[in-house]
Amino acid sequence: MSYFAEAEPSDSFQPFSVFREYFGFVPNLFRLQTLLPRVIMAEAALSRALLFEQLCLPQTLKERLLLALASAHGNKYCVALGSQTLSLLGASECQLILPSREALLVEFTVKLGTRGHLISREDIERITAGSWTNESLLEAVLLAGWGNFLRTLSIGLAAPPDFAAVPYAATTPLLNIASAEQESFGPYLSAREMPDDFAPFAFLRDNFGFVPNFFQAQTLCPAAVAAEVEALRLILFSDDVLKRKQKERILLAVSGASQNTYCVAVYAEILTLSGVAAEESYQIAADHRQVVLTELDTALLDFAVKLSARPQEFSGEDVESLRQQGVSDQQILEAIAVTALTQFLNTVQWGTGAVPDFAPRRSFRLNVGENANLSSLDSRPTTKEELADPDSELVQRAQSGELEAFEVLAERHSKRVYRTLVGLLGSPEEARDAMQDTFLKAFEHLAGFQGRSKFSTWLLTIASNTGLQRLRERRPMESLDGDGPDGEEGFRPRQVRAWTDDPEQLYSQAEVRALVENCLKKLPAKYRVVVLLRDFEQLSAEDAAIALGLGVPALKSRLLRGRLMLREALAPYFAKSPTGVSA
Amino acid sequence: MAELGNYMDDTVADEVRMQLDNHLVHCPTCQVIVDSTRKTVRIVSDSGSFDLPDAVLKRITVGLMAKIRDERG
Repeated sequence: MSYFAEAEPSDSFQPFSVFREYFGFVPNLFRLQTLLPRVIMAEAALSRALLFEQLCLPQTLKERLLLALASAHGNKYCVALGSQTLSLLGASECQLILPSREALLVEFTVKLGTRGHLISREDIERITAGSWTNESLLEAVLLAGWGNFLRTLSIGLAAPPDFAAVPYAATTPLLNIASAEQESFGPYLSAREMPDDFAPFAFLRDNFGFVPNFFQAQTLCPAAVAAEVEALRLILFSDDVLKRKQKERILLAVSGASQNTYCVAVYAEILTLSGVAAEESYQIAADHRQVVLTELDTALLDFAVKLSARPQEFSGEDVESLRQQGVSDQQILEAIAVTALTQFLNTVQWGTGAVPDFAPRRSFRLNVGENANLSSLDSRPTTKEELADPDSELVQRAQSGELEAFEVLAERHSKRVYRTLVGLLGSPEEARDAMQDTFLKAFEHLAGFQGRSKFSTWLLTIASNTGLQRLRERRPMESLDGDGPDGEEGFRPRQVRAWTDDPEQLYSQAEVRALVENCLKKLPAKYRVVVLLRDFEQLSAEDAAIALGLGVPALKSRLLRGRLMLREALAPYFAKSPTGVSA
Repeated sequence: MAELGNYMDDTVADEVRMQLDNHLVHCPTCQVIVDSTRKTVRIVSDSGSFDLPDAVLKRITVGLMAKIRDERG
């Protein structure tokens, strides 16, 4: 059951004619957006350029790329649409055992669409070594972007499949992840000089003051550039439903949540032309909840970030919650479309390796969840001094297969890992289980650890995410990421009696220990984990921020709140009584 | 608020530190909050909370390594 009403399309509505021509019908995905015709027009323009027009790749291969990506995402709607389209084209799903050259392209598209931030020049070279041209590669990149666009729409709209989906198994060993994050600078594809009167570029110059490298990197396919610029015009550059500024914030927040530094940097700089301070844009990308916005604007960003970064948690309740705050269905549809468009832009940027037009002022990190690729955890550029890691020799030995070296590392860090997990989870039994998970994940992904953060930070990152993931499973409604209505944002200290000079002396060590453990449990998890990493494990603010996928300002803000909450809980035990004697 | 956190961690700019120092002289409530929060951090850091005896940790590690060796065949 979709979240939105479906209107009967008018026969003369031109975008629907485009879909009928290609699909033979109008897919539900587009019918569900009839409240916002200009968005459907943008989608028709993109479909025509990316899917219907033939540049290099045959139609059936294009559909197979989309189907493989939809299947990797487990997206029933897109799998059903892809299967049906393939059968209309005369290819059955049974023909999915592809020649190795085509399988290479499938593998690339799936990696780009599912873990685009890990794409590197090495991936591109594997494709071109398979004698695929730059034009073919660009088409695959665009299709990965389009696949992510459709996926976001289908989740945001809860579009019911147009056909029964045929189960589809991936035909290739997918995701042979080479996490070469160094040396991965683009652009990866050749570009061509465009004539001065190329209308899309003129439009970009008029609106942005320049032509971002993102579009320059796609000049091998001018029709795609034109369709993307048209989509920007129709979806982003309007003020009639959502305000343009609201949509630009969605673009920043979603790009930040996706860790796409390029898109954040470019858009932050573009917004400075409209008088928006770059710092504000970066803060929206890092953690929009740290920016003073109206409740409604914050709710819109919560919605978009959840849809893009945690789609498995997205539900009709998110749509209903916006409605209850007075957001119209048209506005919600537009927020979904902007989120989908941002996913498209992020994916295409990763695939083309478009280089920043401006130096990014800050880089972003994924909030690593259970299924994220752990080899990407240590991607923060660091200085030489920071690289001095007492574990580095053992790590190298463990990476070369020496189990004993890994055992020493596990023994060395088990106390810290356990402490973090039991502090988070509360239950010693569950903490032991989670500790085992943490070390197994670390062992499994050790080859991808490149020593760009300390090993201990990397390990605590895995531990924190393992613990937080278990809490999510246990209490799916509790917000662990700062987007939930958890009521403590306005926390203010109430206990203002002075403490005794040596509060620890009032109790035995065992009593103090028990007091701290009990009081810490009272903190919401998102503050508890910050206190655990900073004040128990003594991670620096920067390392703790990395571990939790937060910006440093957001981390510091949570830390202060967490410490104040803990102070509040401990105050009755350590504050002086009104008579000057401890309570 | 953000500066208060940096002040307590001693990572605030000199100018801001002076402003906060001046404020604290005249504001007993803030004095209490800063002093007791610093004490909170000290108590928490030194509490030894959530520590597990070394022998127990060793047993867990041995079990973990046995599992890894099993899975490796």
